[in-house]
Amino acid sequence: MIGSRTIFATLSLVLAAGLAAQTERGPVDIVRETTNELFSLVDENREMYENDIQALRDDIRPILLDEVDTLYSGRLVLGRSSRGMEREKIEEFSDALSELLIRRYADGLLDFQTRDQVEIRPLAGDNTERMTRVKTRVQMNNGEEAPVDYVFRKTDKSWKIFDVIVEGISYVTTFRNQIGEQIRQEGFDATLEKLKQGEVEIEVDDK
Amino acid sequence: MNFRPLTTLLLALLLTACATSAPPPDERDPIDPWEPYNRNMYKFNRTLDKALFRPVATGYEYVVPDPVETGITNFFDNLKSVRTTVSLALQGRPADTVTSMVRFTMNSVFGLAGFFDVATRSGVPQYDEDLGQALAIWGWEDSRYFMLPLLGPSTLRDGLARPAEAYYDLLWRKAVDGRGYGIAWDLIQQRANVLDREEQLEDAFDEYLFVRDAWLQNREYKITGESATPDYDAYLDEADWEEDPD
Repeated sequence: MIGSRTIFATLSLVLAAGLAAQTERGPVDIVRETTNELFSLVDENREMYENDIQALRDDIRPILLDEVDTLYSGRLVLGRSSRGMEREKIEEFSDALSELLIRRYADGLLDFQTRDQVEIRPLAGDNTERMTRVKTRVQMNNGEEAPVDYVFRKTDKSWKIFDVIVEGISYVTTFRNQIGEQIRQEGFDATLEKLKQGEVEIEVDDK
Repeated sequence: MNFRPLTTLLLALLLTACATSAPPPDERDPIDPWEPYNRNMYKFNRTLDKALFRPVATGYEYVVPDPVETGITNFFDNLKSVRTTVSLALQGRPADTVTSMVRFTMNSVFGLAGFFDVATRSGVPQYDEDLGQALAIWGWEDSRYFMLPLLGPSTLRDGLARPAEAYYDLLWRKAVDGRGYGIAWDLIQQRANVLDREEQLEDAFDEYLFVRDAWLQNREYKITGESATPDYDAYLDEADWEEDPD
């Protein structure tokens, strides 16, 4: 009797393990794992990063780029401006844009003391099979809470982040109008140049 | 204080519509038909901010210890509970109205006139509501963007709501009566609280558009309590995009 129970337990364990391996990482898992990974990094090297923000940017870049669909964000920001544009141009633009966001993210990350300041909420509301929004609450140092949401889309391979909405303010939407206006005034190439130059200037400033 | 030079500067700015980079009327965002005026007023506010308010707030923040600043922020927030309570009542949210009153009482009595935010520590939620939000709930949902002199981003609806609100908002009431020290202190504290966002402004491609779009989205979030998911599909405008050409 005991024997068959053990076999059953072992069997169900094996089954469960097999199932877990099959289910892909959902958007909530991605936010949780990435948040943990980033905070561990900062916990271990805080002192170094505070003196060398560029090192932090370089270290978080691969972690973030793994989870972000930069090209899709870039296309959303460009919108109508990208009509008839070469693919390489759009990719170049998307890379420059994501670099800007990584920079901003790195600056913000150091402001937090502990990962307990981030609370990830279970999925709820308007989620579809192709798009979903993971809501988190971030406790600011002044005690107030700010909602930070990550918007995901399902690509062929996996779920990818393409927008961040902080207190109702979407990065994609906010960049979109500015970039559109800039392109209207100065053309695409000048705008791309400006976007890239922003990075260069900042890098020089740091040294 | 002599306001005449200020008024002259203001008029000069409003009348010189030439220096703006606003798009022609038919290309403007429908939410911002007064863009040329708004851009000028933003420039005026920002110039004044850089010359006066920001330096004052920077000095203030340098001198005043952080815990005291938090206390002062709490104190003014507590005074605004009156405004919030009225707005909640007008929006037909009786339970939240009571919560807001409880909050005000707790902080006033046990928090040394609001200096300590004991209510939040006891788990009483904080609301940030004003008359403009009540008007939005009553049906005036989309209102055009309107840059107020000195006070910054607003909408026509929220701008019109402000004078009415000044009758029962404690700080503004005092200011209307000619004692503006409270409101001045509050505004300096509020400015000091957002000094660290300066870099974001400087980084912006078009500071005016950045502030406008961020403010309007955040306002929408405050009114509805839910931030809407943008209509991303409408953002894409490519007839023939291949996901992976390889």
